[in-house]
Amino acid sequence: MTTHPGAGPVVHDPTTLPVDDNVNAYTFCVELRGSEWFLQKGKMIAYYGSMDFNGIGHGRLDRLVRTSFHSPLHASDWVVASGTGRMLLADRAFDVNSYDLDKGNLTIRSGNLLAFQPTLALKQSIVPGFLTLIGTGTFVAASNGPVVFMEPPIRVDPQALVGWADCPSPCHHYDHGYMTGVMGGLRALTGLGGASGEEHQFEFVGAGTVLLQSSEALMAEQPAGTVPHQPGVPGGGGAPGHGPGQGGTPRLPGQLGDLQRRFGL
Amino acid sequence: MFRLQGSKVLAVDMTGDAVKAKNGSMVAYDGRMDFKKLTGGGEGIRGMVTRRITGEQMTLMEVKGHGTCWFADRASEINLVDLRGDKLFVESSNLLATDSGLRTGTSFTGLRGASQGNGLFTTTVEGHGQAAIMSEGPAVVLRVSGQYPLTVDPGAYVAHQGNLRQSFQSGVTFRTFLGEGGGEAFQIRFEGDGIVYVQPSERNSIAGDV
Repeated sequence: MTTHPGAGPVVHDPTTLPVDDNVNAYTFCVELRGSEWFLQKGKMIAYYGSMDFNGIGHGRLDRLVRTSFHSPLHASDWVVASGTGRMLLADRAFDVNSYDLDKGNLTIRSGNLLAFQPTLALKQSIVPGFLTLIGTGTFVAASNGPVVFMEPPIRVDPQALVGWADCPSPCHHYDHGYMTGVMGGLRALTGLGGASGEEHQFEFVGAGTVLLQSSEALMAEQPAGTVPHQPGVPGGGGAPGHGPGQGGTPRLPGQLGDLQRRFGL
Repeated sequence: MFRLQGSKVLAVDMTGDAVKAKNGSMVAYDGRMDFKKLTGGGEGIRGMVTRRITGEQMTLMEVKGHGTCWFADRASEINLVDLRGDKLFVESSNLLATDSGLRTGTSFTGLRGASQGNGLFTTTVEGHGQAAIMSEGPAVVLRVSGQYPLTVDPGAYVAHQGNLRQSFQSGVTFRTFLGEGGGEAFQIRFEGDGIVYVQPSERNSIAGDV
């Protein structure tokens, strides 16, 4: 909190702003010294010094795209900040935090990632709507409410999941005793007979960390790019054995299984 | 006397004096209070006409009495500003309350207002006393001096005070039209001496999309 009864607000200037740290729970300060950062479009709120913001497609930055960006299809949603000075980042008054990766990997919901150092490589995750960061460096992510770190094995609510690090096995889990059969389907569909709304979770096992936010409000999803239409690519729509009409609607994370199949249609 | 109770409720202790506050922002009071709508923000006929023409509409009420009155608006964060003869520039939608001794008026802001969708005019508060301004998320207060000019995203700008010059920067290039803009096409640059309040959230504005 910046104001206290009796005392004036804390006034920041470039010498008192923290370097690569939080100003308060909702604002993050990044220092640039001739270096570069990747930002999601429109997340800069103010800066001291001289900086340039350029779209990823900028010719001079082509090299960066090659080393740090491996999904050219969504590169247009990111900008490169370069120059010297201190810059404040924020996103709709959500909580922001920075995370350090050391030769690690972390997968995060695309809407939650705000900014990252070019030493990290950003790739599309196999899980639709998620992005994976690989390498060594710092990134800044937003969440609705503070982030909680959990150790697997754990089952989490789809809306509360922010991301996971090093866990190899995110999968869906359904409470089958409650969900199967026509009555289960009806319950899930209509809420009649008492759907708890928690019949479906994501399950994580193995060594790693799972990041959860303390609310179930999702951030607006950023386009994470499309995948090539090839057999065997999840979300690619080219896999054999899918019935007609199924390829048209992509399955969102958190969406229940197909009800038609549940009803045996 | 203004004080914050938590960060989202403003408590004002009054002993027969008055405050001006945004219409309908009273949440509770203790003691005896009179509420009076101030037509035209208490700026007289001329102020009323100016506000109508400039679109910088503001409905204020005057609260007078003995006791404590609490104000809040849509769970916005509240920031207290002490004015000692200087002028505070704030968007009318971000102004919650002022001492009744402070004068409010309108001033021309130019292109900054247009780029953030707030119109070409802004509200000024001047005199000696306290004012309470609202922001979405706690505001970060940034000092501007001759050595350290500041650049702000128009959507995150809340208010500023002191002797500041503002200039409008546009980064619109041909790339913006190719859909490869920098995402920060419109910026306001503050130079001089003073402080600027920015909020950790951006209003939806045309500047957010290009």
